[in-house]
Amino acid sequence: MKKTFILLATFFTVLAAQAQIDRTVMPKPGPAPEINLSEPESFQLNNGLKVLVVENHKLPRVSIQLTIDNPPILEGDKAGVSSLTGSLLGNGSKNIPKDEFNEEIDFLGARLSFSAQGAYAQSLSKYFPRMMELMADAAINPNFSQEEFEKEKNILITGLKSQEKDVAAIAARVQRTLAYGKDHPFGEFTTEETVNKVTLTDVDKFYRDYFVPANAYLIVVGDVSLDAVKELTEKYFTPWTKAVPPSFSYTSPKNVANTQINFVDMPNAVQSEITVQNVVELKMKDADYIPVLVANQILGGGGEGRLFLNLREDKGYTYGSFSSINDNKYAASRFRATAQVRNAVTDSSVVEILKEINRINTEPVSEKELKNTKAKYAGRFIMALEDPQTIARYALNIETEDLPKDFYKTYLEKLDKVTIADVQNAAQKYFNADNARVVVVGKGSEVLTNLEKIDYKDANLPVLFYTKTAERTEAPTNEAAVPEGITAESVIEKYMEAIGGKAKLESVDSYSLTAAAEMQGMKLDLEMKKTSNNQFMQDVKMMGNSVSKQVLDGDKGYVVAQGQRKDLTDEEIVKIKEESAPFPELNYLSVGGISLEGMEMVGDKNAYKLKVTDNKTVFYDAETGLKLQEINVAEMQGQQVQSTFTFEDYKEVSGILFPFKLIQTVGPQNVEFIVSEIKVNDGVSPADFE
Amino acid sequence: MKKKLLLASAILINGLCAVAQEVDYEEYDLDNGLHVILHKDNTAPIVTTSVMYHVGGKDRTEGRTGFAHLFEHLLFEGTKNIEKGKWFEIVASNGGTNNANTTQDRTYYYEVFPSNNLKLGLWMESERMLHPIIEQGGVDTQKEVVKEEKRLRYDNSPYGQFLPELGKNLFDKHPYKDPNIGYMEDLDAATIGDVIAYNKKYYVPNNAVLVVAGDIDLVETKKMINDYFSPIPKGEAIVRTYPKETPITEQKNAKAYDPNIQIPATMIAYRTPGFKEKDAYVLDMISTYLSDGPSSKLYKKMVDDQKQALQVGAFNISQEDYGMYVVFGLPVGETSLETLTTEMEEEVEKVRTTLISEKDYQKLQNKFENQFVNSNSSVEGIADSLAEYYMLYGDTSLINKEIDIYRSITREDIKEVANTYLKPNQRVVLEYLPEENTAN
Repeated sequence: MKKTFILLATFFTVLAAQAQIDRTVMPKPGPAPEINLSEPESFQLNNGLKVLVVENHKLPRVSIQLTIDNPPILEGDKAGVSSLTGSLLGNGSKNIPKDEFNEEIDFLGARLSFSAQGAYAQSLSKYFPRMMELMADAAINPNFSQEEFEKEKNILITGLKSQEKDVAAIAARVQRTLAYGKDHPFGEFTTEETVNKVTLTDVDKFYRDYFVPANAYLIVVGDVSLDAVKELTEKYFTPWTKAVPPSFSYTSPKNVANTQINFVDMPNAVQSEITVQNVVELKMKDADYIPVLVANQILGGGGEGRLFLNLREDKGYTYGSFSSINDNKYAASRFRATAQVRNAVTDSSVVEILKEINRINTEPVSEKELKNTKAKYAGRFIMALEDPQTIARYALNIETEDLPKDFYKTYLEKLDKVTIADVQNAAQKYFNADNARVVVVGKGSEVLTNLEKIDYKDANLPVLFYTKTAERTEAPTNEAAVPEGITAESVIEKYMEAIGGKAKLESVDSYSLTAAAEMQGMKLDLEMKKTSNNQFMQDVKMMGNSVSKQVLDGDKGYVVAQGQRKDLTDEEIVKIKEESAPFPELNYLSVGGISLEGMEMVGDKNAYKLKVTDNKTVFYDAETGLKLQEINVAEMQGQQVQSTFTFEDYKEVSGILFPFKLIQTVGPQNVEFIVSEIKVNDGVSPADFE
Repeated sequence: MKKKLLLASAILINGLCAVAQEVDYEEYDLDNGLHVILHKDNTAPIVTTSVMYHVGGKDRTEGRTGFAHLFEHLLFEGTKNIEKGKWFEIVASNGGTNNANTTQDRTYYYEVFPSNNLKLGLWMESERMLHPIIEQGGVDTQKEVVKEEKRLRYDNSPYGQFLPELGKNLFDKHPYKDPNIGYMEDLDAATIGDVIAYNKKYYVPNNAVLVVAGDIDLVETKKMINDYFSPIPKGEAIVRTYPKETPITEQKNAKAYDPNIQIPATMIAYRTPGFKEKDAYVLDMISTYLSDGPSSKLYKKMVDDQKQALQVGAFNISQEDYGMYVVFGLPVGETSLETLTTEMEEEVEKVRTTLISEKDYQKLQNKFENQFVNSNSSVEGIADSLAEYYMLYGDTSLINKEIDIYRSITREDIKEVANTYLKPNQRVVLEYLPEENTAN
């Protein structure tokens, strides 16, 4: 009996082995799942408020969303009035003081927030009736007070200040303003000045003009019944006075005649924000709406878009590069292709983005790209249906965007019918690399030289300069002009004079230096010895153990790193020799090849910039003559690594000034060595270089 | 008396709600040690397949930080049967979405597909576990991408350095002292050999949990899982012996500079216990008490009434071995950072010295109930929670029972926990300041 069992077991194992899946073949999808697209219930109040209700009883919760679909509003010299109205709404009502109001909502564990043209609440369904009441009361009977107004104004201004160095925020503002113009609702922006022009009366007027039910929708989703929503809406929202918002006109924005770079200098940027943009006219009801979404998806819609594959996966320029196209039924909108890239590859990234936009215009997309993109959209459509908010959103779009009733029911069919030609036509109509603004916000001193060299379609791309508030300006100047009569030689001579004089320096045969630093909580000790006979020793100890030691004695030397000793190559010996002299400047003049590159700021000091070799740049204080900084570039595993030494706190030893603070910066890492002792012509013996 | 009755009935209703939304799941182990959790929910035709590996930023050696995060990128590069660079395309062209994320404690990879592509999701995750391709070219590219990510998220981003700064100041020995994304020089120094060894050590079935959630058939799904995951060999057992920190007994002052900001911030940070401890839950409650919602103590006082702060907040950064509890404020107008620090400490002190009111206590309970109801609202979210509760908390059933822990916390617990962890001599006060421009 037992035997049979084993036999059976063996039999099954064999069977299992035979049935083993072939993992070299990608599994095929099963039959397409069924989609169930339900429709929300809806009704309308006499004052114009339309209500959409999606019942979903899976969880005992409910959300209430109030959306006012007004045309874009131009705030003009009082820009900020809309934002202030939003902040002042929801602070209680004429019937309930603010503190009581907030206390009650918090106590229910619920949320209620207002914006200038809407509100959103979320709570457990047992509190739904009270939340409807609170939302309606705060929306219809706001209690605007001078005290709250002053507070919110202060917060808004502080918030604006906080953005002054935020590269992404500045970039977003400048892009919008350049695209639409300052006199367009999408192009204007809020400043401290415009906020200061706003009064409480303006807020009140804004509220009365625009917070009206004519274009308003109330969307209730969750564990509720239609009857209850009807009853509560009629009870609480009927008092909302019927009114239509004022409308006004503005000029429609135009694209530029020829592609150009619009540059904003931000010296604190470690990455450039790049956007290639056009203005477009696109509405959801347009026949090419779905084709252009597909085209955008292929160009830069995600991790398999061409921009991402090129700039990130192939070149490693960026964490992500994407494109987007927006629709708007009232006004123009934008097509944008964007990337945040490190300074050094800013120009190359601009070139690649333009290339990709051009390519999707001129070459048909592949069958496979189209097929894959359709599948992605279809999947996204199906997956969105998990969220009951989707049903509400679709119904709202049909209403507000003037779409056919079956727009979403036939969405997958429409998607399926999109052809390669449709995609190319849409790309040609909406993605334009020949009349584009390439907005780059970044560090001018590191990116401009190369940006100015970009050729696009055989012509140099013009670079126009803008301020952080999108005003035209001059090219940034990082380098001040060098005064008459200053040469590389005079800078070096002044330096030598400043630290003790040439004769004094020449009398130094050797010196030794002891310093200490702290890195990530660990103590680093540095010992360095130099002689005028090409001898050099540097030992770095961490917590008392040597972690890196370099020794040079004439034409031979070695390094010990992490316990491994290695003899220096000839190339390395030459390099270290350059550093080994007690005062390398003594040799600079005789060696030659040193050039004065201009003046730059080092910290808050004006400095002369001397190029010593291709890999070494030194800065000397224009005023005192002292050496302020050295920048060395080295090749490490195919990467250019830059290390910076900053010299501070000069003190005299044996008649010569030495810096007692050495700050080494490599990448984000800063190590600050404090010198404890320097000995001149003392404390160095030949044994140190063995 | 009436009030008490009301309270009792409120609790009763709470109890009922919890039953109504119970998350059903089934769990078991494969022979190779892979833990499997299945959750069936057929309301929408979608399915999530996900794998959580018990490896995060803290799993590293000195000089080799940031490996787990680098792997989050590397493991999309391709496998023996998935060509390099095709991962995203396969997912998207089958109507799915996917992503991954890494914390100091764990890495999470997932796909969401229409439910007819369940098998595809399982195949992809099993490929990733069985034989990812790790070669020099891919490692080089992803190192650059990670550096860009660091520039984007930390170096070019306002207040982007605050998390690494807190880690650095709250920890001396434990790996939490180093940033999750790692030091760039460590990434540069990493050899292909280091990278492959790391993969072999941590990305093994016995260090992972697979979750399949959504529109599935349990029997079929189990068979598919067996087909794709059983052949993956078991790895060595992983032992973690990270150094314990000595308690902070003296206030530590620190400064950090950020060139991307104009408005400084003050942060008071405390080292707190790991998230499995009940005390960590109590600390969650304390942060809600202090800063969640317009009637919370810090917001009401400092933003609303006294108008000293632009923003103020308290949050508990939960981690496996230790947490970081942070109270922060951004001044408005001329308010000094010292004033903010003093005002914040005043509220923390009240929690240490007096019991919070009955009403505030009930408010907290209501807030956590709302949070609990909302926490399991998407299948994707449920999958993530199931993986986390099993792997890091060691108890999958917390998905339904975590609310009971919050319910069991008393006003006295709140006071006691504040007294144990949030005393002035246990804190780091970090002044986070704008760095002046050096150029121009």
